[in-house]
Amino acid sequence: MPIQIHPLGLALALLFAGTMGALLLWMLWLPVQIPAAAAKAHRSVFAIKRILVPTVGQPYSERAVELACRLGQEQKAEVILVHILEVPRTMPLGVPLPEAEAEAFKVLERSESIVTLHGLKPQKLVQRARIAGEEIARIAGEQDVDMIVLGARAKIGLRDEILGRTSDLVLRQAPCEVIVDKLPSSESS
Amino acid sequence: MSEPTKHELRRDCSVWGSYMWGFADVGADTYVAIGLVMSYVQGASSLAFALAGCVYILIGLAYTELASAYPVAGGGPYYTLRALGDFWGFVGGSALLLDYTIDIALFAMASAGYLNFFLPLLVGHGIDYFAIDLGPLHHINPLWCIETLTIIGFLMFLNIRGIRESSLLNEIIGVIIIATSSGIIILGFIFAWQPDLLVHQWKNEFPTFHNFMYGSSLAIISFVGLESISQAAQETRRPATIIPRTSITLVFTVFIFALAFSTLGLGILPWREFAKHIDNPIAILAQSIPFIGVVAGPFTALLGALILLISSNTGVMGASRLTYSLSQYQVLSERFHVVHPKYRTPVRAIVIFSLVGAAEAFLAFLTPSAMDTLGNMYAFGATLGYTLVFIALMKLRLSDPYTPRPYKMPFNLKWRYKSRQVEIPVLGILGMLGVSLILFEVILTHAVGRIAGPAWMLLCFCYYTWYRRNAGLPIFRSAPHSWEADQMQVLEAAEEFDLLEQYKLSLSERDRQLKRVNRVSSQKG
Repeated sequence: MPIQIHPLGLALALLFAGTMGALLLWMLWLPVQIPAAAAKAHRSVFAIKRILVPTVGQPYSERAVELACRLGQEQKAEVILVHILEVPRTMPLGVPLPEAEAEAFKVLERSESIVTLHGLKPQKLVQRARIAGEEIARIAGEQDVDMIVLGARAKIGLRDEILGRTSDLVLRQAPCEVIVDKLPSSESS
Repeated sequence: MSEPTKHELRRDCSVWGSYMWGFADVGADTYVAIGLVMSYVQGASSLAFALAGCVYILIGLAYTELASAYPVAGGGPYYTLRALGDFWGFVGGSALLLDYTIDIALFAMASAGYLNFFLPLLVGHGIDYFAIDLGPLHHINPLWCIETLTIIGFLMFLNIRGIRESSLLNEIIGVIIIATSSGIIILGFIFAWQPDLLVHQWKNEFPTFHNFMYGSSLAIISFVGLESISQAAQETRRPATIIPRTSITLVFTVFIFALAFSTLGLGILPWREFAKHIDNPIAILAQSIPFIGVVAGPFTALLGALILLISSNTGVMGASRLTYSLSQYQVLSERFHVVHPKYRTPVRAIVIFSLVGAAEAFLAFLTPSAMDTLGNMYAFGATLGYTLVFIALMKLRLSDPYTPRPYKMPFNLKWRYKSRQVEIPVLGILGMLGVSLILFEVILTHAVGRIAGPAWMLLCFCYYTWYRRNAGLPIFRSAPHSWEADQMQVLEAAEEFDLLEQYKLSLSERDRQLKRVNRVSSQKG
């Protein structure tokens, strides 16, 4: 058989060899296997789809909002921001509190901007209650949240519980996972 | 699925092993299809392979998604069973069993055909010399028939004894085949290819529309066997990671080989040469390449015989795995689950389907072109099975969105279905239309296929009806299955822990969603 060399034939031969080589290399380059324990831990955090974050407008509570967003980022969790207006027992629960409510909405707007920065969906709630900690736990159950992220004050006085009254109540009564973020006392709020 | 037994399939197949399992089945097809397709499509063979290849890529992508999401033996019929119910699982299984039996017959015949390359050297005459006329039957070749039946008998015996070709041997042969085929293509394009000859044949030897339809429906034979990777899914380590890679690589490897061989062939020899040597076309092609022709021809013939023998063997093995799977879900009798007490092999399935293959081969030899006859029927089973797989893919996207899909067919349309967002695969719809068109072509142009195919389905239906009645099971409805528990068991056994956790998470979210909906409804009530 006589030899017939054509540039197009050379090009096709090269194309064939290159494509086959690339395909086989890609096939053999496997990602690392995920062990069972790592998979379980990873997916357990991935399961957190609704996060409740009580916010009071202080830097420590806004930091809690940021932490909640980081936790929920991968799985595009919904972040529920709640501000509790504690009404003393000496007043009816429905007493008009225009200044407090206006302040509450400002607080929630600031926190909302943190959530939208992460591309997540925020939900805002202003609730009146006698005791903030109990109300937070109740909302958590009602909204079927997966986690509460709570910021705690940096400065704790001698008479206070270790984590503060609200945090303490939430930890005891919450129907879901709770993360409390307490900054060291040396950091000012 | 039953509790794990001592007959549980071992997960021992590596990434190269999984790829070779598929290549051993599919890689051989081009060695058979080239001659068949060229004899009808002539100068437009590359186009026929390209069109069939595009549909095949879509089929491959569908299998990739399903095999990685549901890594169990059973392949297409399992997905159909899961999506559409027991009856349609049986229809898909019957179509695939037809193909496995033809696989046994056709590739045993083709293997003998490649060995017949040496006949002129041994006895001084080619295989056609031994063809005879027998009354109304013309061009019967008893020698070739005896060779084929001997090969089938040997494979049946081998599989009963349990002496399987070792994975290592399969992989070595696969490497040699890939290296040889690549060598033929590269050296052929460099030293022997004449684009003018290709263009001349395209312009002057273009087929009629009928012949093009017939030939392009035969071209699908080049691509049948992708099933094998999904059949091996239950024996593959890390199937969700490995199967997408091996499936996609196999799909494109075979597509490139088919296109390359047809383009190369038409640029080296007239199509009539391939039609004349329909039994060993690649060997004839290799013989025509400078420098290597003298050695490459006989070497390719030997290699072709070997790869086709292995491919025929995958038919025997495939039939046993398929019946093993279907019998677990009460689509076939539990008797197909029975193993030989000494050899521990599914002897019943092996004997029955090997004998069916032998019968098909014998009957095919009574026709003027045995390979054409078998190719006819092969296309019917394959296209029917693939159509059902596409339907199953789309149905499972809707009915089972919870099973994690490590690979998803690209180009999906988001759609709100029963208050959930689901993705409709656009390529899946195109693939279904494409393969349905080929099925239509088959029914229209394949005289044997359109009779023998439905006849086979009817025979299987009679068995199915008899079995289900005796077992007290419905014929058109499904028996109860515990898919969710099965899926978790499979993912755990496959060591796909991340997918297992993902699946559990999806199910618990679904349950929570249902609870919320029920709570809201009861509050409203």
